[in-house]
Amino acid sequence: MHRYPRWPIHLMLSFISTLMLIPFVWVLKTSLTGENIFTYPPSILPENPHLFYYVDVWYSIPFFRYLINSVIVSAIVVAANIVLNAMAGYSLSREFAGKKIIIVLFLSCMMVPFQVTIIPAYLITKELGLLNTYLGMALPLCSTIVCIFVFKSSFDAVPKSLIDAARIDGLSDLRIIFRVLVPLSQSAIATNIILAFIWSWNNFLWPLVIIRDQAMQTLPLGLSRFLTVVEDTTGALYAFCIMVLLPGLIIFLLAQKQFIAGLTRGAAKG
Amino acid sequence: MTSGHTIFEMQLIKKKRTRELLLIWFFITPSLVIFTLYRIIPLLWNGILSFQFWSPYKPPELAGLYHYEEMLMYDDAFWQVLWNTIVLMASAPVGIALALFIAILVNTRIRGRDIYRTIVFLSYPVMTVAVGIIWQWLYNEKVGLFNYILMSLGITDKGIPFLQSFDLALPSVIVASIWQVIGFYMIILLTGLQSIPPSLYESAAIDGASAWMRFRRITLPMLKPSIFICFVIGIINSFTNFDLVFVMTQGGPGHATDLLVTYIYTMAFKLSKFDYAAAITVINFLFFLGLTLLANKASGGEAGAVDVGK
Repeated sequence: MHRYPRWPIHLMLSFISTLMLIPFVWVLKTSLTGENIFTYPPSILPENPHLFYYVDVWYSIPFFRYLINSVIVSAIVVAANIVLNAMAGYSLSREFAGKKIIIVLFLSCMMVPFQVTIIPAYLITKELGLLNTYLGMALPLCSTIVCIFVFKSSFDAVPKSLIDAARIDGLSDLRIIFRVLVPLSQSAIATNIILAFIWSWNNFLWPLVIIRDQAMQTLPLGLSRFLTVVEDTTGALYAFCIMVLLPGLIIFLLAQKQFIAGLTRGAAKG
Repeated sequence: MTSGHTIFEMQLIKKKRTRELLLIWFFITPSLVIFTLYRIIPLLWNGILSFQFWSPYKPPELAGLYHYEEMLMYDDAFWQVLWNTIVLMASAPVGIALALFIAILVNTRIRGRDIYRTIVFLSYPVMTVAVGIIWQWLYNEKVGLFNYILMSLGITDKGIPFLQSFDLALPSVIVASIWQVIGFYMIILLTGLQSIPPSLYESAAIDGASAWMRFRRITLPMLKPSIFICFVIGIINSFTNFDLVFVMTQGGPGHATDLLVTYIYTMAFKLSKFDYAAAITVINFLFFLGLTLLANKASGGEAGAVDVGK
């Protein structure tokens, strides 16, 4: 292949990167700024940066409460997803009467965005007495079809000969699952953890619908509520934003490879 | 089963098989219950609800097509909201084209491309509620960054109220939504680009094909599945993009940025018109279903690439 100069590519990419980063920088600057927010012209870098707004968030709103609620709901969702999806994925990797029907059923469920079923889903949750509860927030997300299929294809990829060998050695089906299938499905498990975590951590509409009690609100609810009670020129609002962004960004930067692999796999499947 | 088995062995095999089946059904039941409870029953219930007069404290009454008539004949807001959803959907190709451009750039062999990729993708894992707050701040009429830039460049001498303007509110929300999703499109397209065998380009280069020809004849056709996935994500986004609109504009001014999903939420959970909202939901779902099937057909049935029983 013939060579081409690299600098125009770098130039374009630097420009694009700047555009992509500006919103982050701007909010970070606002959250740290010591000057009056109405100062004109605004400075691009914060003058006299301080952490006052962060302290403000910690004391003026129940940030810790929101955080704990978010963590509990996400923990339930992630744990349930791994267990339930692995179980369902295992079933679908075996042969049994009615398997075709169940697969068709699952695939058609995938065509139903959750937003479409939100009204009766709310009424059902109310009937179950789960309004304003962690379980109510978590339950609809506790099993996801995409991840069931991720597990299914991971189990399918385990060589038949390996399972037969284990069976001849006298291992029961349950033992085979724990000793052979699960250890060979590390990447499916990672995909599942990541997808389930993002879905529940960022989930907004569902908690908005079923949570009335302020003590049960999760971070996104707290954030949007804070926006409605204060002026949008309140520095604490942007400190709150940064505090909410950071955990997600840190997890992403630490597990970037797995994160992207998980997402693209999820997208490719559904 | 070979004929060599004794009756005893046959019974043993049968017993084992029963236990296997029990395990299989036991394992799949929890997921089935969840999907029945939160997808299948709600979908049916929603359909029934849309033909009823229903409110939380009254017994339901048959309404026939009353809600549909009201929606299609008398509710101007419904048509506006439907149009807004279509506009948002129509913006998806713009985002995908930009993402393709970036994907091609970061797919070249240059130093630091991993850093560029990370930066472009960085906005995707961010909570949408926070994205909404960040962007309404950037759009702020008095002290927003965009107005500052426009004023410094002398394009305008007074702050533009982006999110309060009937003409600019929807495009402004769309820009924010493209900013958030573009990294995800890029990653999908990049995965597609990397799966194109380099030998194709090499032989094309030997044949003297220009860069543009190589793009048209190799890259685009080979990327078709990835582009299709992006389209489906774009369609789903336009039907489910509740958080951004709710935070940035609450659907306003008027209904200028209201989408089907936010309108349904307002009707049901703010105005308690559950039955009417259910009717809009039915239309929303049918519209979504039709589009997805159409997209599936257009791509040659590649949405069925989900491994069914393979």
